[in-house]
Amino acid sequence: MTDVAAFGGFGLGLRRDHYRDFLAGDVAVDFVEVISENFMVDGGRPLRVLEQVRAKLPVILHGVSMSIGSAHGLDGDHLVRLKALADRIEPLWVSDHLCWTRTSAHNSHDLLPLPLTRAAMDVVCANIDRAQEALGRAMLFENPSSYLTFPEDEMTEWEFLAEMSRKTGCYLLLDINNIYVSASNHGFDPEAYLSGIPADRVRQVHLAGHTPGEIVIDTHDRPVCDAVWNLYGLAIGQLGEVAVMIERDDAIPPLPDLLAELDRARTIAATTRVEMAL
Amino acid sequence: MTQLLRAQDEFLACLLDDGALLPMGWDARRAAGMAVYRNAYQTRLIDVLRNTFERTARLVGEDAFSQAAAHHLITHPPTSWTIDLAGAGFAETCAELFANDPDVGEVAWLEWEMHCAFTAADGAPMTPTDFAATTADFDARQWDELRLELIPGTALRPVTYDLVRLWETLADSQQAPALERLREPKWLLLWREGEQPVFGLVAEAEALALANLQQGGTFGEVCVALMKYFDAADVATNAGTMLLNWLELGMIQRIHS
Repeated sequence: MTDVAAFGGFGLGLRRDHYRDFLAGDVAVDFVEVISENFMVDGGRPLRVLEQVRAKLPVILHGVSMSIGSAHGLDGDHLVRLKALADRIEPLWVSDHLCWTRTSAHNSHDLLPLPLTRAAMDVVCANIDRAQEALGRAMLFENPSSYLTFPEDEMTEWEFLAEMSRKTGCYLLLDINNIYVSASNHGFDPEAYLSGIPADRVRQVHLAGHTPGEIVIDTHDRPVCDAVWNLYGLAIGQLGEVAVMIERDDAIPPLPDLLAELDRARTIAATTRVEMAL
Repeated sequence: MTQLLRAQDEFLACLLDDGALLPMGWDARRAAGMAVYRNAYQTRLIDVLRNTFERTARLVGEDAFSQAAAHHLITHPPTSWTIDLAGAGFAETCAELFANDPDVGEVAWLEWEMHCAFTAADGAPMTPTDFAATTADFDARQWDELRLELIPGTALRPVTYDLVRLWETLADSQQAPALERLREPKWLLLWREGEQPVFGLVAEAEALALANLQQGGTFGEVCVALMKYFDAADVATNAGTMLLNWLELGMIQRIHS
């Protein structure tokens, strides 16, 4: 499987509220990320917009429905359409989540948690092998946020991700907010998580907001909080060249607000690297 | 069946049914986690239905719409990998739940077909000039066997309300919906004009002609069907007028002769 070349830069998720901004002029980002499934359609305006944006900027295809942890295997139609989209858009890379979304009968349209077991590892790796073979490229997989763990768990999530990447050659998309959310919900040390991730396999970082509470929920509907910024600062000091992105999916603010958050990500990365160089 | 497969089937069954028992050995913390997933599932999908069927929601009111959407999720849990298809069958659900108000099912049908047409395959409509050039040397047999391919996203159904007027008033939440029953049977015809789905009311004769073409019928078969509506001597003229109108509207993308 071919390597995924590192791309250092700062980007945003391309959302409908901002289509006009991106089509009208230059937006100060190095790339955009789109939800793959929104563009795995036969035709119409969404694809036209994506092609116009792609003419200006590198694009990352980020999926939510591959269901890589599904014991029922992958959906052939989904794979065929994703391959067609990737061939059309020529993205920087194609990513999805370490999760499952469906059984053979129904789809939850949610990123459901996997038991961290040997049996789940076998299923995930077989599905990743099939997906990468079908797409003809190595993929990235993102650590999910989760609201429960399983009594049968046999390893930590970071151990699972490291072994999954080693066995399949896939790369990792590290969502710093998801680490924070899951650490809060399950009581693990987020710094231990970061230390356990193979830094050389990480190609992208997500930053997002969450809703605090007894169970912290990954809502992507508010700015990144200070605790997540701090964790990002630690992460960026351990990682190589990565693409960093603000991920906002709900209560989407005007573009300048998101660009201001992205500037903070740039500043933290620059400061961290200067401090490390001294 | 593997243990993981069984566990995932059990997990999803719990997600879809608030009353389902949790897996053996789950404590209160895990039960609270499952409640988060259940809530997210229902909230996300009801939001998707509300966004897709915005005018239907306005027509029936928020509470009635939420109940209809929740009912639909129970009777039609999503099966596709794309959440865009979560609204499949919702127009039929509305027609059943609001059986005494056929306008509800009709508006829901229109919203669903608009949604589907928006991302339908891109058509390349024939111009009247192209069509005239292609068919210039056709003889009677070729006209009789001519098949016309409509652009993707085209849809038709009979309606009892003036959906054009109702659609306009439902665009404005401050305006009362214009519920005007049609005096004679009409069909709603929807197609895509460039990137934009558009629609209008057409007479039954034209609708059945288009439905015939959609099902692969020939122009000759369409003319035979039109004899129900026009004198035999006028059928060819009326069919020709309809054909020219479809070409001018950009509804024909290919001919097969």
